[in-house]
Amino acid sequence: MAESPESPAATQAPPPVSPLASHPVRSLVIAVLVIATIAGTLIVPIYDSLTPRVGDFPFFYFYLLIFMPAVAIVLWIVTLLQKGLAK
Amino acid sequence: MSHVNTTTFTIVVAAFILITGIGFGASRWRRASDMMHLNEWGLGGRGFGTFITWFLLGGDLYTAYTFIAVPALVYASGSIGFYAVSYTIMAYPIAFIFLPRLWSVSRVHGYVTPADFVKGRYGSRGLSLSMAVTGILATMPYIALQLVGIEAVLSVMGVGATTTNTYLKDLPLFIAFLVLAIYTYLSGLRAPAAISFVKDTLIYLFVIVAVFYIPTRLGGWGHIFGFAQTHYAAINPATKKPNGTFIPTSKKVGSTEIDFATLALGSALALFVYPHVITGTLAAKRRAAIKRNMSLLPAYSVLLALIALLGYMAVADPVTAANVKKAGNTQLAVPYLFQHMFPSWFAGIAFAGIIIGAMVPAAIMSIGAANLFTRNIFVEFFKPDASPHLQTRTSQWASLVVKFGALLFAVELPHTFSINLQLLGGIWILQTFPTLVAGLYTRWFHRWALVPGWLAGMIFGTIAAYKTASPTASHWAASSDIVWGFTLYIGFSALVLNAVISVILTLILRAAKVPEGPDETLPQQYTAESEDTPAPAPAGVGAA
Repeated sequence: MAESPESPAATQAPPPVSPLASHPVRSLVIAVLVIATIAGTLIVPIYDSLTPRVGDFPFFYFYLLIFMPAVAIVLWIVTLLQKGLAK
Repeated sequence: MSHVNTTTFTIVVAAFILITGIGFGASRWRRASDMMHLNEWGLGGRGFGTFITWFLLGGDLYTAYTFIAVPALVYASGSIGFYAVSYTIMAYPIAFIFLPRLWSVSRVHGYVTPADFVKGRYGSRGLSLSMAVTGILATMPYIALQLVGIEAVLSVMGVGATTTNTYLKDLPLFIAFLVLAIYTYLSGLRAPAAISFVKDTLIYLFVIVAVFYIPTRLGGWGHIFGFAQTHYAAINPATKKPNGTFIPTSKKVGSTEIDFATLALGSALALFVYPHVITGTLAAKRRAAIKRNMSLLPAYSVLLALIALLGYMAVADPVTAANVKKAGNTQLAVPYLFQHMFPSWFAGIAFAGIIIGAMVPAAIMSIGAANLFTRNIFVEFFKPDASPHLQTRTSQWASLVVKFGALLFAVELPHTFSINLQLLGGIWILQTFPTLVAGLYTRWFHRWALVPGWLAGMIFGTIAAYKTASPTASHWAASSDIVWGFTLYIGFSALVLNAVISVILTLILRAAKVPEGPDETLPQQYTAESEDTPAPAPAGVGAA
C-alpha cells in the first residue's frame, strides 16, 4: 500500500478507553458465552454417549443437532451485549 | 445413455440453463460505472448487506463437501463424519471473535485479500507471498472436491456412464465446468452471489423434504439409528475390523474423540482463513453485517447435521446400499438414496441443487484465489504499476487457470474419500492462521519467525498427508495420522509445529533485536465501522 487513506475519525480521535475496563462484568459474560459455544462441542466426552436417548435420537446426535440453534441464539445475545459495550 | 431418466435429466438441464442465464446476466446487477476494477469484479462493489452476505457466505460454506463428501464419510465410517457438524458449530464463534477485526482493517486500508493485510501489517513481501501461494494452493483441492461432487451426481443420473472413453464420459462435467468458467470470467463475484439465491432455495427444499420424508419410508429414525449401530459394530470380513463407529471411542487410535475434536477444531480454524471465505466477508457493506451473519449462518449448520444423517439413511436402505456397493464408490450414497426414495421429478430438483451447490463455491473460490494471484504476486512482484483494468483482466485469466489446476487435482488424487481433498486444503491453509489471525491482535510475532514456522508446517503437513495409505490407495489416502501415540488431524499437528517454531524464533529474533519492519495499521482501525471510514480507493487498485 502506498498512501494509506485514513478517515479523519480513524486518525484524529483519541484512543478510546478500553471497553474491557469500563464494563468488566459485561465483558466477562461475553467471553464466557463465546468460549462456551466453542468448548461445547470441542470437548467431545461431554456428549459422547448413546444415552439418554431423546425420542429416537441417541444423545450424541441429539446434542449436535440442538447445539447448533443454541450457538445461533448465544451469538445473537453476545452481539446485543457488545452494542452496549460501545456506549 | 440408456439408464437416463428423462424427467430427472430434463429438470437438471432446465435448472442448469436457468443459472447459466443468471450467471451471465449478473454482470448487469448493481452495475458500477467501471466494471473493470477489482473491487467490482472481485468483491461485487463491496456493497452487500446482511441478506446477500448470508446467501453468499452460505454459498461459500455449504458445498459438495456438505452434500456428497460428509455423508459419504458417514456412510463408510460412521460417527467420525459428524466431526463436520461440530466443526460448523465451532466455526462461527471462532470467526465471530476475529472476522470483524479483519473486515474493519481491510475496509480502512482497502485490502482485497488476506495477503494484502499481512503485507500492510508486517511490512514483509515474503510473508505476504507465503500467504498468497498457500491460499491459491489450498483452494485447488477444495474446488476439485466440487468437481468430484458434480461427477457423482452425473454418474448416478447415468449421464455419460455408458461409454468407456474418459473424455466422452466426463464430457457433461467439462461442459458444466466450461460454462462456470466463462460466466465467472465475465461477471465476477456478482455471478455466484446471484446464483446462490437459486441454490439455497433448492437446497432448503430438498433437505427438508428428505429429512422428513425418507425416515417414513425407512421405518422411522429409531430404525435408522438402530440399523446403523448394528451395522458399524459388525465385523467386516475383508478387514477383520468393525465397519465403523457409531459414537467416537475413547481409545488412543482410530475414530477417537481426539481425532474427532482435532478434525473439527482444525477445520473450524481453517474455514474463515480460506481466501474465498474472506472474499465473501470483505464484500459486505457493514461490520454489523458480518457479526449478524455469524448468528444467522448456523441455520445452515442445522441443515448440515441433517445432511450428515443422510449417510445413515443410505446405510439403512438396502437398495441404496446395494447400489453403492456395486459401484464401489461411497460418494454415490446420497445421489443413489435420492434416486431410490424420491419420484424422478423431485430427484431432478435435488440433483440440480447439489450440482449448483458445487458450482457456486467453485466460482467464489476461483475468484478468491485469482485476487490473491493478481494483488500479491502479479502486481507485487511483476507489474507494480498495473492499471485497475489490467489487474481485473489478470484476475479474470487467473480464475480460469486456478479452475484448470483444480481439474488436475480432481483427476490425479484418489477420490475414494473426496473429503480428503477438503482436509488437504485445510492442512495447507491452516498454516496461514498464526500470521493472519495473531496479526489481527498483536505484532508480537516476528515476521521472519512466521515464515520458517509456516514452511515447517507446510512441509510436515504435506509429507504426512502424502504418506497416509489405505487398502485402495497408496498415497493421499487419509487426513489423520498417529502423532505422539494419538490419531490426530494432520492439519492440527502441523499447526502446532508451526506455532511452536514461530514462538521460539520470535523470542530469538527479538532478543537479537532484528528489525521488526513497518506496520501501517493503527489499533483503532481494527474496530472501525464503515460509517466513519468511507470506502477508500485502495492504493494500486484505486481509480483515483
